[in-house]
Amino acid sequence: MISYLRRGLLQHLRHSRTLLALTVLGVALGVASVVAIQTLNQGSLLAFDGSVRAISGQADLSVTGTLPTFPESLLPTVLGDADVTAAWPLIRANVAVSGRPDLNLDVVGFDVFAPVRYPLQSAAATQADPFSSLHDALVQPGWVAITPELSAQEGWKVGDVIRVSSGSRALELTVGALVDFRRFEPLAPRRLAVMDIAQAQEMFGRPGRIQQIDIVLRKGADAPTVAVRLQAAVGPGVRVQTPEQRRQDASQLLAAFRLNLTALSLISVFVGVFLVLTAVQASLVRRRHEFGLLRSLGATRAQVMGLVLGEAAALGVLGVVLGVPLGWLAARHNLQTVSATLTSIYVTEGIDKLTLPPLVIALGAAVGLLGALGGALLPAWDLARRDPLRLLSPLSVHEAAGRAAGRLALAAAALAVGGSLWFFTAGHELRLGGFLYGLVMLLALPLLVPLLVRSVCGLARPGGFGFALSLRNLLARLQATGFAVAALAITVSMMFGITILVGSFRQTLVTWLDVTIRADIYISSESWQRTGNDAYLDPALLETLRSWPGVVSLEEQRRLRVLAVDGRPVWLNGLRLTDRPLPGVPQADMAGRLPLMAGEPHAAVAALRSGSVLIGEPLARKAHLGVGDTLRLAGPAGEVALPIAGVSYDYTSEGGTAFVNLDVLNARFDAAPPNNAALFLAPGTDVEATVDALKNALAGRPLVIRSNRTLRSEVLAVFDQTFAVTRTLQAMALLIAALGVSVTLLIQAHERAGELALLRALGATRRQVFGLFLGEGTAMGALGLLLGLGGGIGLAALLILVINRTWFGWTIRPAWPGATLGLQAVVVLAVAALAAVYPASRARLARPGQLTRDDL
Amino acid sequence: MTDDILQLESVTMTWDAGEGGGRTVLDGVDLNLARGEAVSLVGRSGSGKSTLLHVAAGIAVPTTGSVRLAGHDLTASSEEARTRLRRDHVGLVFQFFHLLPHLSLRENVAVPGWIAGDDRARTGHRADELLARVGLGDRAGDAVGKLSGGEMQRVALCRALLRGPALVLADEPTGSLDDRTGREVMDLLLEMTRAEGGALLYVTHSPELAARADRTWRLVDGRLLPGAAA
Ligand SMILES: Nc1ncnc2c1ncn2[C@@H]1O[C@H](COP(=O)(O)OP(=O)(O)OP(=O)(O)O)[C@@H](O)[C@H]1O
Ligand SMILES: [Mg+2]
Repeated sequence: MISYLRRGLLQHLRHSRTLLALTVLGVALGVASVVAIQTLNQGSLLAFDGSVRAISGQADLSVTGTLPTFPESLLPTVLGDADVTAAWPLIRANVAVSGRPDLNLDVVGFDVFAPVRYPLQSAAATQADPFSSLHDALVQPGWVAITPELSAQEGWKVGDVIRVSSGSRALELTVGALVDFRRFEPLAPRRLAVMDIAQAQEMFGRPGRIQQIDIVLRKGADAPTVAVRLQAAVGPGVRVQTPEQRRQDASQLLAAFRLNLTALSLISVFVGVFLVLTAVQASLVRRRHEFGLLRSLGATRAQVMGLVLGEAAALGVLGVVLGVPLGWLAARHNLQTVSATLTSIYVTEGIDKLTLPPLVIALGAAVGLLGALGGALLPAWDLARRDPLRLLSPLSVHEAAGRAAGRLALAAAALAVGGSLWFFTAGHELRLGGFLYGLVMLLALPLLVPLLVRSVCGLARPGGFGFALSLRNLLARLQATGFAVAALAITVSMMFGITILVGSFRQTLVTWLDVTIRADIYISSESWQRTGNDAYLDPALLETLRSWPGVVSLEEQRRLRVLAVDGRPVWLNGLRLTDRPLPGVPQADMAGRLPLMAGEPHAAVAALRSGSVLIGEPLARKAHLGVGDTLRLAGPAGEVALPIAGVSYDYTSEGGTAFVNLDVLNARFDAAPPNNAALFLAPGTDVEATVDALKNALAGRPLVIRSNRTLRSEVLAVFDQTFAVTRTLQAMALLIAALGVSVTLLIQAHERAGELALLRALGATRRQVFGLFLGEGTAMGALGLLLGLGGGIGLAALLILVINRTWFGWTIRPAWPGATLGLQAVVVLAVAALAAVYPASRARLARPGQLTRDDL
Repeated sequence: MTDDILQLESVTMTWDAGEGGGRTVLDGVDLNLARGEAVSLVGRSGSGKSTLLHVAAGIAVPTTGSVRLAGHDLTASSEEARTRLRRDHVGLVFQFFHLLPHLSLRENVAVPGWIAGDDRARTGHRADELLARVGLGDRAGDAVGKLSGGEMQRVALCRALLRGPALVLADEPTGSLDDRTGREVMDLLLEMTRAEGGALLYVTHSPELAARADRTWRLVDGRLLPGAAA
């Protein structure tokens, strides 16, 4: 049987090279989309992991603040523990490199004499005077060690000065040494730079404050036990965690992001399975005679099934071999945008290195093989089930086509009803419930194909050699064409579902921006733009802005990452908004600028003034908080309880956000200058001219000055970038579905040689036959579109109303992005028609003299 | 003779037999078929009857010689032009019917009209009318799958005659039918082509059916001889 299998496959290869290539390509694309997404997902975790390990690799425990910084006076307390053999402080700052809009450095300040094996010391050890570089680090202002990769990439040599900025301060760093952190920790970020901690504190304006204490324990000490003891000793302002715990925090932070991408990539696999199904089914129809003969010569059902599955497995292997590298390339191609999304929304660590972990390869292989086998199972079983004689008779090809349509549609309805019942009674409580529900509904979709094809194509009354005839031909070959239509329907559902989601989200965002972005000019710093953390605007600058001609009000904002008492991270925004009526500037009225979903605007304004908090919708949903409740945050000296005066729509973060008066933030958490400022101008002042004047006056300072309009469009640009990777996935799925159309029609061109020969004999020109096939491809596209439209609307509803709410917690108002959907519909039709071009060009070669007795 | 629908002059047809060799199936065939005339073509299996019909229909191009169909030189025409000439002047009937199983009787008959882009209503009426004439008028909307062989061939006959072709070519139209049914179909074929004013060239292995034509041609060793008997 094995040798038969090999022979069958070789014969296949020779006779239908194109067909095979298309099928393998389809499997490969499915595998590739999974591999690409999982590689990126892993990359996003590894990026975080890498920087944790590069910096705290040898630490058994780390102390971090509930606020970004805490006083260094905690160090003696930590060192006082009997089990602690060493502890050293760290401070981290993200600085923007001037003139390099996409480059920031992760500067770590540490104690160069810390009793640990730091790569800096090993680098120093190789020099003639081992202590000279350490000495330089202490005395030379701005001394940093950078990685050889960064040095090579930017052309920075030892002794060069790097101009960077932190907030509104421009700083100068001097390259003091090149240190290969990757030799030490392979995943270390390329953008890591190390300097002396005292210098860093001085430079970033945080004297006496540190961000982290890394701890090495006595051999044999139990880290978790020590952590609990230390936590009690250091008090509520900081957290003592093992590296593992810190990693878990990051992975939770990224969970929703990763899950979404995973779900998307699975669609490609799903579509890929249908492609395999199409190809296997078709190759079986073509070879049923052969199988019938085998069966009548004594081959058992199991043997026939094994034969078919063996061939499918071989297809799968080829697909995997091609798909894994393809996925790797796709991941690399999307690295930039995904990394940018991560850094602009989730964590400070962008992905700058991708690895292809064996686990991801294994996953890709499993998906490819199981997909191919899964796709072959149904046709193989169908084949094995039939009795040999029926297989031998040529007529049974058309039999039963569409007869099962009603039963399948009933099954779809049962699946949909059952799924809905489950979801609305129990499933919605599960976090993955929405995804499972979506999956069940998507599974029901293909079952509707026969009914749809029958009712639509059955209506076609061909009166000429045109589209109606193409439709009728599809109906006649429902068994063969149904799979391609189903694959298209699923793809279109996914495309439309996501397009409606993104379009609705964008529309919601625009409305929200209209309410919240009211000032005329916005000022922040380059380092805030890129890293978002402690990038401050200095008080002198604020004074300059306040007294600028035409400015009637200056508003300040500061954003601080704090923790709720339950450990949930919360972005706490301190606001100093315009607190008096501005004549002629009604848009500055505070009450009109709060996008409240619960609470009364004027009451909320008054409450904010008196120390209450507004919380963002995601926080309200996830922590089950509402107006009248209390938000409990971990302050530097214990719990800070803030009464909640309102819940506002907020799309800045899927985690928690909260808004307090800036004075409250400074007094109860951490006093520091603001990160951002906004200006209201007197009525009639030219905004763009003022922006230009400010830019001129402040040239050379690391500031970002934008008008209302510019800021708004930049926010939308970030939004669009976030969804850029979904377009790659959509394109991949569409490509697979298109391959399904090609494969199906290619087989049709072969199978229907007799019919085509007849038409040619009856006087149809080659062009007409070509057109007939093109019409069939387009008809498949149209049918897939029709079914996919329904599926897409359902999927969008699920994404907007269920999945988004559970995972992100945002209210998205459904919108209908008609133009984009229309364009996509055209693309789907065009792609389906294009997919038919090659098969059609084969079909047109049918010769009128080819009619034999077996035909038709 | 300008009135001839089909003229072949010294037509030879050599099929490529591979390795440089060739198999000459038609060897200097001359023939004239007048409009409205019915001619039967006989000969042993493999003698080239089907090949001759293919050449006449412009499906195959002879190796040498010329073929004129309705006054047009087929051998000098492009593939596309030959297809159009076939579409407009020739009706074909095959031994194995070759109906499209997913279309109804009426639709099968209408296919040549669709291909030619004829008015759809007129084509439909014409199909119905022809089907009525072969006794299948009441089943025009049925699928063809359940028809008997004789019924299928009658549908195929209607299809060949749909556009009133000047020449009907029938390759063993009764070859898959029993004697009685074959005779009935032959009756219809002769009678209807005559009524439509078309010429008919049909291949048959039955001397009895061959004798019903105005004339009989016989293919022997690639040469066309007049007369029937062996
Ligand atoms: N396309 C072709 N290529 C090569 N040889 C061909 C081709 N078509 C027919 N032949 C050969 O030409 C010869 C004549 O075939 P043809 O079909 O014309 O015979 P026929 O008289 O119709 O026979 P039958 O009565 O069995 O139908 C045969 O030997 C056949 O093998
Ligand atoms: Mg023949």
